[in-house]
This record gives sequence, structure tokens and C-alpha cells, in this order.
Amino acid sequence: MTLSRKDFIRGMLLGSAGVAVTSQLGLMTFSFSGTNSIKAIVIDYSKCTGCRTCEAVCSASNHPVSIAGEALPGAGNPDYSNIKVWHFNPPLDIPVTCFICADAPCIAACPVKPDAVTGRKALYRDEVFQTIQNDLNRCIGCQSCADACREERGGVIFPDELGQPQRMCTLCQGNPQCVKYCPYEALSFLEITPDMPLRGMSPEKINQLLTEAYYQ
Amino acid sequence: MKFGINGQLLEVDLTTQTIIRRSIPEAYYKEYFGGRGLGMRLLYDYLPGPGTNPFSPENPLLFVPGLLCGYPFPSASRTCMVTKSPITSPVEKKLAYASTVSYSNMGGFIGPEIKFAGYDAIVVTGKSEKPVYLFIENDRFELRDASKFWGMGTNAFDKAILDELGDRRFETAYIGPGAENGVLFGSVLNTAARAAGRGGTGSVMGSKKLKAIAVRGTGMPPIGRHKEYVDLLKRIRVSFMADSESKNNWRYGGTANAIEMSSNRGSQAVKNYAEGSFVGVKNINADAARQQVWKRDFACYACQLACKKSGFAKGAYGGVVHEGIEYETGTMLGANLMIDDLNGLHSMIELADDYGMDIISLGNVIGFLTECLEKELITTDFLDGIELRWGQVAPAMEMIHKIGRMEGVGRDASKGVRHLSELIGQQSSDFAIHVKGHELAAWNVNGYAKSYGISYTVANRGACHMNGGTPKGQDQSALRDSVGICSFAASWYRDDLHPAMLINAISDSNISTADYDKVGERIFNLEKLMNFREGFNRLDDVLPERFFKDAHTFGQQKDVLIGRDEFEQIMDEYYVERGWNPQSTKPEKEKIITLGLDFVQL
Repeated sequence: MTLSRKDFIRGMLLGSAGVAVTSQLGLMTFSFSGTNSIKAIVIDYSKCTGCRTCEAVCSASNHPVSIAGEALPGAGNPDYSNIKVWHFNPPLDIPVTCFICADAPCIAACPVKPDAVTGRKALYRDEVFQTIQNDLNRCIGCQSCADACREERGGVIFPDELGQPQRMCTLCQGNPQCVKYCPYEALSFLEITPDMPLRGMSPEKINQLLTEAYYQ
Repeated sequence: MKFGINGQLLEVDLTTQTIIRRSIPEAYYKEYFGGRGLGMRLLYDYLPGPGTNPFSPENPLLFVPGLLCGYPFPSASRTCMVTKSPITSPVEKKLAYASTVSYSNMGGFIGPEIKFAGYDAIVVTGKSEKPVYLFIENDRFELRDASKFWGMGTNAFDKAILDELGDRRFETAYIGPGAENGVLFGSVLNTAARAAGRGGTGSVMGSKKLKAIAVRGTGMPPIGRHKEYVDLLKRIRVSFMADSESKNNWRYGGTANAIEMSSNRGSQAVKNYAEGSFVGVKNINADAARQQVWKRDFACYACQLACKKSGFAKGAYGGVVHEGIEYETGTMLGANLMIDDLNGLHSMIELADDYGMDIISLGNVIGFLTECLEKELITTDFLDGIELRWGQVAPAMEMIHKIGRMEGVGRDASKGVRHLSELIGQQSSDFAIHVKGHELAAWNVNGYAKSYGISYTVANRGACHMNGGTPKGQDQSALRDSVGICSFAASWYRDDLHPAMLINAISDSNISTADYDKVGERIFNLEKLMNFREGFNRLDDVLPERFFKDAHTFGQQKDVLIGRDEFEQIMDEYYVERGWNPQSTKPEKEKIITLGLDFVQL
């Protein structure tokens, strides 16, 4: 490898690195089955300032508060946000949300038998937006999906008190609010390709790579 | 009217190691909002009376998020530390421990997190035998042993505490070894670099053996009128996003943009305030920092300005990652000491923050001692052999260590420039740059008597550059500190985005802009009354002699001095406009009654 690791990561941040050595950095490599492409939230870590506006608008859209049984869109508890910004020292802010992986290890890990008609397990991929969704009625709360995500990808699935998976990105039905309101244009809604850097990794791993790139 | 936000505070007694929840009277929110205002009202309640020793268990230390903290309004995340000052005292000392109120403001995420946990204030009284930290996770709270963290620098602690907690979503605020050791200008930090620096609030925290607070909240504060709230939030976000010019200026250089601007107009603190412009300014301005040191931009909660910068120093003082430089830090340890080595300066800032010391007071102390040595009022023996000279990083770094560790000369230097000038004598008080014992910030005064001059002399915490030059400006400053809106973003919050509208939406109330303004005046006057009963009067509202005697030798304010009579006249007019007696500076009875402050026992 002629490029040093540091140069390589810097290069990736500038969008100029090749794809040839991606596997060395643990980048997600996959091939699509069928013709469906996947659009997802793509994060530019060079632009994020850690302001957490994304958390506020995500929860306001996906988990609105309700008063007297009435949902009030536009206001939500940021703790329920599907995107989370992790702060590190030395200073780095690492937002992570469901990567909507093409090979979805979370779905692979779901032990619930596929439905005879729909072919869906409890955890399944939505046909329209390709997002990962959970069928509350069939989920057994075993948390295998969350374990798989944490072990193999970014650890973005947080089980609730019943063990059911939460915080998977919904893409806000095609109009992601985090992308719309990010004040720093750090978030985009793009078709994902195998050469996109720093996808499918835990915040800790991304932090480690970026710390090397920025502070050494 | 439902004005309560969370409606409750946490009261921590470190002597008995007990924590209880108390409700906050609804009238307090209405009359003082949150942050600095609510903090002052609570300070009055918790203080046993005038003359309380700031380092006694009876002096309360308050963490008070601004009223709007916890709602994602852009740049509304400021938290105020409030206590009785350990660093100020009046000229006519009738009470042994007379001192002013103190308040100090910080951004970041700690204020919103306190709100998410369900509280509008944390009040700490008493004194612990062993070092402790306060753990809060929603309605679970306890004091935990911090013995192993005592003495730890702020940067290492910032990492260690999150490792111990095992959850990176905790927000923390803490002190460093400086405040632990008793430095009078100890700061409170969060995220290793955001500081409530001024007024010694960290020193009070250190005296209580409280290393830190660690807070995690998973709730959200209530919203009174939902539709109004959503509409305002949307319009404010859009208004910030649309104003690209001022926003981009903040993003480009943060407050460091002011380094060159201030030098150009002769308003910078240079060479212990003897000059107002700095020859080496281009080496330490925002452009230089962008090219050589800064790596990333950082924002506080829901802020669109990202004025904070993280940097990585290279060269002789290299290898240091820290946030900075800013206007105050870059000027007080840079221009004021004639230092234009940007990498050295970056590392000095990191060192001062690691000890947890207020860089404004620290820069004054080192500048004052450098001038004393230059004028041969002291020898290097006084400085334990440290050759403090203008423009030199290494001896200044040594001095920071001495002060932070309270070793040798550091013991006296840790008490500020007024103490040092009393010790050294020989007219050195002329260039000991403080008001009421609290050092001036990085804005020089000659040529700016009506703005910075007034701002410094009448500020209720001793010299304060954020105070404002007119009663109206000062009241607005108190309001910003109380609703939690950052000064840098205040210009967005007006007209049809007025803070009063935001307050009405979240609290389902109907205050007018006049009601709003009156809260600011009430807060400022409450502080003033608390200072007055400690014995502060007009003799304490004075500028250092330097500004009447030593004109700058070059730059835009060259040869400009402040006229004594002219300044006295400006001050007379100020007191009259305030409704205060110009001799005693006591607020007139009518003013006290109009503002509903007649409960204050003088």
C-alpha cells in the first residue's frame, strides 16, 4: 500500500480515494440482488459539528410527543431519535444512524420464520424505501438483530423494554428531516454505493479512524 | 398561566451528603426566567445573609440552565453558574467576607441535559469531607466518590469520567486541579474546553470538594402551546439558515475573528493593557489559526454558528489537541503577553484549561508580573527564578504550572492582580487591571470609556466585558444569560422571533416585550442590591489608574486618555438613568418597589 493509512483516510474525506483497498479498512462491500437500489442517509464527517439538530428533528418527525392521546408532530423527545450523535475526546462528533445495509445482518439474524405469503421475518425490508422494519406482532423480543448490528455493523438498533428493535431509520417516507434541517449540510439522502467511506461501522471505530486523520 | 418548566430543582447538601427535590415557586420563573436570573433569586434565598464567606459551606453554588435550554431553538443552550464571588471585595470593608455576586456562563450540552433529566436548577450547599461527584440520571441521583479523580487535569478527567459511567451520552461539568488547590479564578468546564471561566465559580466548587456533576436525562421539558412552538421553531431555523453572511463569519473564525479587528481599532488588551494594538496580530489571527492549527468546527446544542474550533499544535509545543484560540484566550495569553507564536499559544490555552483556570484572570496575572519584572519592581527571586519576558512562551508556561499547582509565587499569583499589587506596592496598583478585584477582559478601555469603561466599572460580578455600556444593554445581557440565548446569536432573536414569544409558547403564558425587559432590569437590580448590602459603593465603581495615565504609543487610540472628570460625569448620568443614588449607588426606594425587590433585606 503506497498511501499511508492517514493519507488514505484524509483522501476519503476529500472523496478522492480509490476503492481498491477498501476492505482493509473494513468498508462495507456488497452486491445488490435484483434491481432495487438503496437510498439512505449518508454522513459527511468532515462537516458535522455535533449540534444535534438532527436528533431534534428526527424525533419530532418519527416520535412526536402526544398530549391527551393526540400526536403533535414537530415536537419530540430527542432521546427517541433514530439518528444519534456521539461525542468524543479529542473533539469529534460522530453521528450514526441505520446504514440500511444491502446485506442486512440484522434481518439475517432474525430467528422468526419467514411468512409463507410475504416471505417476511419479523424484521424485514420495506419494499418502497428499503428501510428495515419490525413487525411488532411477530417479533419475539430476542434482540438477535441488535446483537448482529452491534457485532457486525454500527450498533444502531436499540431494543426497547420488551426487547423489540427500535431506532431504525425510516427515511421519513422519502423526505428525511435530518437532511432537510442539518445546518451544516453534513447529511445527504443518496443512493449508497460500495465505495462510500465509513459506512457500517460503530461510532467508536469511526472515531478511531478520524482521530488518526485529524489529530496526528 | 402555567409558567413552570420542569418546576423543580435538586438541592444537594454536601455536608450531610443528602439530595432532595424541591419545587421552584412559579413566580420565580415569571420574574426571573432561568439561568442567571433564577440563579440570583435562589442565591438570595440560600445565602444566610450579607458577609457570608464564599468558601464556607453556607455559600451555595448553582448550576442553572437558561429558560429555553432543552428546547432545540438554535443557540439557546447556555447554562449559568451562580454563587457568591471568592475574588471580589469592596474598598470600605465593613464585613469580613464582603464580596459581590458571581455568575459565569457556558455553552455546550450540560444545560439541555439537566432539563432532559427533569430539573431547572441544581443547588449545591455544604462541604464534603472527601472528593465527590454528583450523579444524576433522571430521577436517580447520588453522590459518588471522586477521590481517584481529585488532582486530575480536565482533559484526562473528561475521558475518565465517561469511561467510569460507561455511557457516552452523559454530559459532565467539572473543575481542574487549579480550583481544587484553591486558585481564586478557578473555572468550571464541560467537554474539556467550554468554560464558565469568570468569577471563581470553579473555586467555590473546589472548596466544596465537588469534582463534577454528571447528568443524563431521557425526558423533554413540556411545551405549553404546541402549534405556536412548532411554528416559531421552524421560522427561527429558517432565519438562521438564510442569513449566510453573519453565520459564515462565525463559522470561519468564531470569536477569533475579533483578534485582528480589535487590534486594528486599538481596543485590544496588549502588553498588560499598555497598548491597544498588537504588532504580531497577523500571526495569531483567525486566518493564521485556520491555516496552521484548526482542524474542525464545533457547535453547542442546536446551534448553527459552530464558533468553536478544535486545533492541533505543531512544532516545539506540538502534539496538543485542544479547542481554541478564541478572542479572549488568544488575546489574554497572546497579545496581552506579546506572544505571537500560535502553536505555543494554543498549548498555553490547553494547559490553562487543563488546570481549570480562567484564562482572562490568568493572562492579567502573568501580564502584570511581566510588567513588574520589566520595571524592576520585583526580581526573578520573587518569581522563583522564572524570567517572565514579553513574547516568551516557555516562562509563561512555567508560571501557569506554578499557579495551577499553587507552588511558590503561584500562591500569591493565584489570588489575582489586586492581591499581587498590594504585595508588591510601589504604585504597581496603577497597572493592576481589575475592578473590585476581578480582572478586566481582553477589551481595552482607552477610547472606549462609554462602552467598555462603563461595562467594566458597574458590572455586578466585578469587571465584566459582557455587561454592556448602558442600563438597557446591561438588562438585555442579563436577559440573554437568563433565557440561555448565546450573545453571538442574539441578533436573530428579535421582532417576530422575539424571545418573549418563545417563552410564551413553551410556558403557555402571555408576557409582553415590556414585561420581558422588566425582568432584565429586575435581575440587574437584585444583583446590585445584594452587592450594596455587602458594602459596595461608588468607590468600587472605578477603572484602573492606567487608563487615565498611560496612553497607547501607537494604533488607532494613540495618545487617547480617559478624562477623570469626563468619566465621573458619564458615571453620574449612568446612576441617574438607573434610578440609583449617584453617591451611595443604592437603588432608590421607588425603583426597588417598582421592580418588586422590596423583599431584599439590606
